[in-house]
Amino acid sequence: MSEIKAEEKTAGENSGEQDWEAAKAVFDSLKTKVPRPPKPQNAVTIAVSSRTLFNMVAERKLYEDEGLEKYVAFQVEHENEPMKPGPAFPFVKALMNVNTRLRELYPDSEELFDIVLMTNNHAQVGVRLINSINHYGLTIERFCMTGGKSPIGYLKAYMTNLYLSKDSEKVTDAIEEGIAAATMFMPEKESDLSSTQLRVAFDGDAVLFSDESEIIVKQHGLDTFFEHEKEFENKPLAQGPLKCFLEALGKLQRKFYAKNERMNCPIRTFLVTARSAASSGARVLKTLRSWGLEIDEALFLAGAPKGPLLEKIRPHIFFDDQMFHIEGAKELGTISAHVPYGIGQKYNKGKLIEQPKKK
Amino acid sequence: MASKVLQRVNERLLEENPAEHQLFDIILITTDSWQQQQSFSIINSTRRHGLEVSRFCFSKEEDFIESLMQNNVQLFLTTDGNEALQATQQGVPSALLDKNSASCPSEQLRVLFCEDAIIQPHAGSTAASQKSAQSFLAQLGQIRQKFGMFNSPVCFTLVTSRGGKDSCCSTLKSLRALGVSVDEAYCLGGAPRGPILSLLRPHLLLSDGFGQLDG
Repeated sequence: MSEIKAEEKTAGENSGEQDWEAAKAVFDSLKTKVPRPPKPQNAVTIAVSSRTLFNMVAERKLYEDEGLEKYVAFQVEHENEPMKPGPAFPFVKALMNVNTRLRELYPDSEELFDIVLMTNNHAQVGVRLINSINHYGLTIERFCMTGGKSPIGYLKAYMTNLYLSKDSEKVTDAIEEGIAAATMFMPEKESDLSSTQLRVAFDGDAVLFSDESEIIVKQHGLDTFFEHEKEFENKPLAQGPLKCFLEALGKLQRKFYAKNERMNCPIRTFLVTARSAASSGARVLKTLRSWGLEIDEALFLAGAPKGPLLEKIRPHIFFDDQMFHIEGAKELGTISAHVPYGIGQKYNKGKLIEQPKKK
Repeated sequence: MASKVLQRVNERLLEENPAEHQLFDIILITTDSWQQQQSFSIINSTRRHGLEVSRFCFSKEEDFIESLMQNNVQLFLTTDGNEALQATQQGVPSALLDKNSASCPSEQLRVLFCEDAIIQPHAGSTAASQKSAQSFLAQLGQIRQKFGMFNSPVCFTLVTSRGGKDSCCSTLKSLRALGVSVDEAYCLGGAPRGPILSLLRPHLLLSDGFGQLDG
């Protein structure tokens, strides 16, 4: 997870520049005024899989029941029928809205969201995917259809800041490679989400921060945890897998503040943590401060369920490392994304779960 | 080693259908006079590496395209961009061999369709070259169809570096109309191609000899 994207000096840099300039010419000549996507090193790159962008549940079942060839044939047959939105769809629309606002204020800047479709679908299915993207007017101009191969290398090639998928194995691989990633879940009921503001909610431990404190809770209990957090209040926690993504959001937020748009900022971030403000909250806030990061609202639940609070917040996405919280959020209509990181993966509702043998 | 992989494709084709005629026939051609003097050692070398080269062809630089045509070459592979350009202009479809592919063993022939890879757009598109390009593509497509989607010894990849999703989509459909069903597709939208290409590890780069497929 690099905070700053280093300038990539490849041997083909000349051809890279040629492509870059030629791409501008191509996009400028398009009848629909679609702007050329930004250079990966300048943008906040969000990679979404096809099943998070669109609802492909029925097609997935066809693939599992009848195999690859039947599945691809079906997709090709129906390629002019747009698919229904998936869990990441509202998030993507909210990102697009932020881009519109950013372009208004900074017409020449490349510090924007860049959305990439990262799927291991076969390229022939791609036609239906592109048709669907066009149907909804989504600004997704880059994609990788890997025909079955792992997306990890391509995620790195695009300098991805966040990867969303339905496949928890791929997400785990990405996190292990230092890329912020989460497994998305469709909520069980519909929710009215803001169309003018991107709202992102994060759990604290093992998402923004490392799981060091969670280990203490799981292994030694709450009392030890409180003592430990008080004692080490001034020692910043280590960073977690989504810290860099929060940082990227903060960087874009400051661009709005610089233009006096703080009250009208189209990005809002939330911390939703089971910690309690009085006994363990200070360390978290001090850690954020030491990182130079701001979070707009910090909500300490002191162990209360997260579902009802999230229902009020209505984020476009909520990141948590524990499936227990993901389930609770889903039930009440929040689009949730599981971050498979840290000790929380070995427990369910406080009990150690039997780990299946790794294949 | 492109030849080894082509042989592997032949093997699999024969596995599927022992009476198969549509196989890859490999001809080694060189215009280098030093190499021609070493002809004996080149022939031995290919035998030693287990390469089934059906013909060896030594010609002068000025005549090599004639040699290609005399031998009915349907696809000319070279690491030299200029040679590829010349051959394409004269109506012999050409592809670049990836210089790095020798170091990357693979069970699968990876063919990359890359718009404007080396040859300038429009430079190679005479009516003759387009026709031969299309017929070669159709044959390639047929060979690919003999294998399923899964575990195929041939893989077609499309990379578009400059345009957006719509131009990539229309290229996908044009190739499909010619009988070439692409397996993987990457639309770069101006992003640097180096990192992606180094992951794709193609053996063959087919480019603008096959440009203007809608024509």
